[in-house]
Parts: sequence; C-alpha cells; structure tokens
Amino acid sequence: MKARRSLARAVPALTLAAAVAGCAAPQGQQPDPRDPWEGFNRGVYKFNDTVDRAVLRPVAELYTFAAPEPARNCVHNMFSNLGDLWSAANSFLQGRGHDFVNTLGRFLFNTTMGVGGCFDVASANGARRIPNDFGVTLGVWGLGQGPYLVLPFLGSSSVRDGVGLGVDFVGDPASMSQVDNVRLRNSLWGLEVVDTRASLLEASKTVDRTALDPYSFVRDAYLQRRAAQVRGSKGQDELPDYSIEDDDDAPPAQPQSKP
Amino acid sequence: MPLFATATATTAAAAPAAPRAALALRRLCAAALAVLAALALAAPAQAAPDPNAAPNDFVAQVADQALDVLKKDPQLRSGDIARVNQVVDQYVLPYVDFERTTRLAAGRYWRQATPQQQQALSQAFRGTLVRTYSGALANVDQGTSIRMLPFRGEVGDDVVVRSQIVPQANAQPVGVDYRMARTEQGWKIYDLNVEGIWLIQNYRNQFSQQINQNGIDGLIQALNQRNQ
Repeated sequence: MKARRSLARAVPALTLAAAVAGCAAPQGQQPDPRDPWEGFNRGVYKFNDTVDRAVLRPVAELYTFAAPEPARNCVHNMFSNLGDLWSAANSFLQGRGHDFVNTLGRFLFNTTMGVGGCFDVASANGARRIPNDFGVTLGVWGLGQGPYLVLPFLGSSSVRDGVGLGVDFVGDPASMSQVDNVRLRNSLWGLEVVDTRASLLEASKTVDRTALDPYSFVRDAYLQRRAAQVRGSKGQDELPDYSIEDDDDAPPAQPQSKP
Repeated sequence: MPLFATATATTAAAAPAAPRAALALRRLCAAALAVLAALALAAPAQAAPDPNAAPNDFVAQVADQALDVLKKDPQLRSGDIARVNQVVDQYVLPYVDFERTTRLAAGRYWRQATPQQQQALSQAFRGTLVRTYSGALANVDQGTSIRMLPFRGEVGDDVVVRSQIVPQANAQPVGVDYRMARTEQGWKIYDLNVEGIWLIQNYRNQFSQQINQNGIDGLIQALNQRNQ
C-alpha cells in the first residue's frame, strides 16, 4: 500500500502522462468545482489504469493464485498492524482519544497475541480497525481538501492528501522508509504493493462491472470517503441532501455541482 | 442494492494506490457482499420482515433472512445471475424503493424524463445494482454476520439505521448504513452507505454526465449495455 516511494521516480512519468492525455478535458461540461484539473487527472488516471492492467493486476492475480490464503492473510495483517501504529498517532493528533486508545490497543494485542501481527486477533474480538493518516489530520485541523488530484501509481488524492502522504511516508512505519537495508526495503515495498493490489481485486472488478464512468465513480467515492473520515464519528448524522436538485427551477442540461 | 457499495471502492487505476484509499476500498468491496447479504434476500423459511417495525428491527429482520437464504443456497453463492434476479424480485424489492433511488440519483433530470423513460431508467439502474450483487454474493460464507448498531436520534419519516457487517469469518467488519423512508407500505430502503460512501451520491455525477452528453435515453442505453 505504500508505493509511495515510487512517487519520486514517477515524476517523469507524471509529466509524460499529463502531456499525452492531460489536455483532453471532458466535452461540454462545466468543470466540477472539486476537480478543476480534471483533464490532467483523467490523463494520469488513464496512465495508472494502463500500468495496472499491464503489470499490477496480473501480478496480483498470480500472487492470489499461487500463495496460500493463510500466508496472504498473514502478510496483509502484518502490514496493517504496522499501519495501525501510525493511525493511532494520527488519532492522537486529531484529539480523538477514544480512537487513539482503541487503535493502540489493537496494535499491542495483535503484536503479542497475534504473533507480530500475523493474525488480526483484535478484529476477531470486535475491535474494529480505524484507519487514519496525516491527510485526515490536516483536514481535522481545518485544512480544506483542495483540488482533487490523481497521482501517478498512487491513484486518488488531493492537494491536502498529497501533502499528508509525504508526512505519512516519513512517519508511518508501514512505509518502510526507516528500513536502511536497501534490498530488504525494496523487497518489502514490492510485497506491500502486491498485497495491496491483491486485496483490491474484487473491488476493482466491481468498478469495472458497474461504473458508467470509472474515473468519476472513483473520484466521487474517494472524496466522499475522505470527507467522512475527517468528520469522524461525530459527523455520522450528517446526511446528503438530495432535495436541492429535486426542484424544477434548476436549469436543464447543466451539470450539477456538489460542494 | 448493496451492490453499490462495492462500487465505492476502488479503481483499477488506484491500484497500488494510496494506502488510505486502498484500505477503504478493500473494505468497501468486502462490504458489498455484506450489504447484499444484509439487504438482499429474505428467507422464506422465517416470518417475513415487518416493514412497520422499529427501523432497527426491520433492517435486522431483513438482514437475518437474507443471510439465511444466502448461506443455504449454493446457486446464489456461485453467482448465478438468473437466480439472483429471482431472489431480488421476490425478497428484496418489497423492502427497497428502487424508483426513489433512481429518482434521487437522476436529480433534476428526473422531471425532464417521460414516465416511460423514468420506468426504463429505474429498470436499467436496478439491473446495474443486481449485477453488483451477484459478484458479491459468491463471497458470503458461514462466518458472515451482521450486528446492528444502536439507533440514534428520533424516529422521523426519513431515518438511518447503522450496522456492521463481518463479510467473512476473520474479515474486518465493514460499516454499512441504510437510509429509509416511511411510506404507506412501511419502511423502504432507498440509499446505502458503505464506509462513508453513499450510493446515490456516487451515481449522481455519472448520471448527469451521461445525460449531458447523450440525453436520458443515452443514460438508459449505457446502463443496459453494462447489464448485458
């Protein structure tokens, strides 16, 4: 999940993708205010999708086919467990004491009783995972999402979350940035990327099957999800108001825009 | 209806993606199945869910029956789409207001559609949702379970019921919320939230995009095409 490092290497690719596909803004539509760089983003999305279909997805499928499920689960749980430590730190920074204590407890429990995180015994005992990161922390501190941004290799993000990713890279033990042995670190990254992609196989199939426009499907899901994370449990009572666009005063054939 | 849920998640492109997105997505995916389990089917063996019960009880009844059917029917679990359709017709439709879901997803364009178009659109969208189920259904196993969370707030005419679904034994629980309206026939579910992502909201932009480009008939056609 932390292919982050590839970020640095990806810059040339980013430029390329942007140059090739970036300028094709969607036809005849007003831009979504949350996504002013849609043309560029679609270019990167397309690039990511191509890389994914050519390399990542086949490798993840092979991994799923070849590695026994218990081994895959163990790998996945261990990365998640490391990530919990960073999630807990962020919950702390956000002043969410309850989440902080729960997540730290999960980490301790899984690390000991779960044999280094190999088994997610905490979830089995009803302690739900509360994923958190620095992008959310910035949001809780009051920073707006900023324009939506698709990063090469990393996928959906935003200006704020992109900054958060940089901090995550340094702070999150699961990013392996603290591992000094280059070969070990690269191997762990490789495994992490494959594990992440494998865990997304079902989801990406569903997007393929059901989305009318995968790009906006993914974008809207990402933005909704991030907004919900920033609101946290307190914001649960906030419901989308669908009535606004129900009135007939609305001009026809205008793309709607949501905050 | 759960299906939508799945959708949420991820994208092929996002693949190796940012960790948070990735995790969210994964859960969403898992959620889909959960959802479907929850909403999807009601078992004939038990008493039918009571749409006039308290909101939490109603959803719990629907979900329990659904899980029961799912766990017993190998055809469903293997994703037999004809069978899924049949079950949805029989056990899901009574509790879900597809027309409302479609109307809200279409937003202002709904009123510009003729009644025939409205009906065709609801049908087509329903097809999309059912297709999502069929994929998710195959993942239900004996460890799949649902836990209702305490109901918050007052019971008005438009309520949200929250649950956590464990999609498979040993899997991470997924938060799934159901939004429903009180109708003359009792409660009807019309929107679904998986890990913070509302189904209707996630289809609104796609609908308006399609309608802007190809009109309402174009949208219906696009949905039906995907249903082939």
